[in-house]
Amino acid sequence: MVDNLYKAFVDATHNVFHLMLDLSDISDHPADEFQCDDAVDIAIPIVGDLEGDVIYRFPVTTSLNMVSIMSGMQVEEVDAFVTSAISEIANIISGNVLTVLSTNEMTCDLLPPVQRQPDENKEYELKTSCCIQTTIGLVCLDIRLNRVKANHV
Amino acid sequence: MLWKDKYELGVSQIDAQHKELFRRVESFMQTSRSAGNWEEKVPKLNETLEFMKTYVVEHFRDEEEYQKSICYPGYEAHKQIHTGMVNYVLEVSKQYEDSNFNEQLMQQFGGKLLAWLINHVAAEDQRIADYAIKKGVGGNGR
Repeated sequence: MVDNLYKAFVDATHNVFHLMLDLSDISDHPADEFQCDDAVDIAIPIVGDLEGDVIYRFPVTTSLNMVSIMSGMQVEEVDAFVTSAISEIANIISGNVLTVLSTNEMTCDLLPPVQRQPDENKEYELKTSCCIQTTIGLVCLDIRLNRVKANHV
Repeated sequence: MLWKDKYELGVSQIDAQHKELFRRVESFMQTSRSAGNWEEKVPKLNETLEFMKTYVVEHFRDEEEYQKSICYPGYEAHKQIHTGMVNYVLEVSKQYEDSNFNEQLMQQFGGKLLAWLINHVAAEDQRIADYAIKKGVGGNGR
């Protein structure tokens, strides 16, 4: 199931980046740890048959590049506008994954994005992370979920 | 320019409304992110916000009518997405007025609106166009 979740999030990220940012040269690899001091962490809380968080770690340069592409404007600092735009992208990616999961009779909902780092004190049954490399920079996804009921994923 | 030709659905009325929405969002961003005193920008931003509150509702209504006319199977789900966005715009507008035109709120609103609009038109709305083409009812020669 962890592999399926990993693939679902990578595929959704790939699709959203391609559609919204016109990025096509995208690759991914598993990441035990993603070291980047200067990054914006966006947590998307998930509730329902799966519960936990997906943390999207956007390095500052990646964040600025993403929002510059979307807005057509030069964006030079991470402010409320940038944080909100990349939070919405994280929300869109996660929503697309939930749509895929729903075809496996798994019902989950998203709570609004929150800017925060992962809670290292919590235990998770399903835990995986990946780095997604694009021409405008890296993005790391940290998936931390617990199963609330048996499922088919 | 925010608008891209790849966003066209092939339905002239809907495409014209989408272009207007993109134009307004672009103008909103340019004003809200320009250098200068926030208070001086407020009248223009308020004007755009008021326009959006009306225009978004009208556009969603027209788009939903079009979906019904072609028996689009995703109509109900799409309508729910529209309702969610209308509620969000109304809620933020109220918070903005209550806060006496807080800048942070409008910057957050602008960021979300930008990403939401691009995804909605490029992904959700394109599904309508794909269905129309599949059923042979697509407009504008698509």
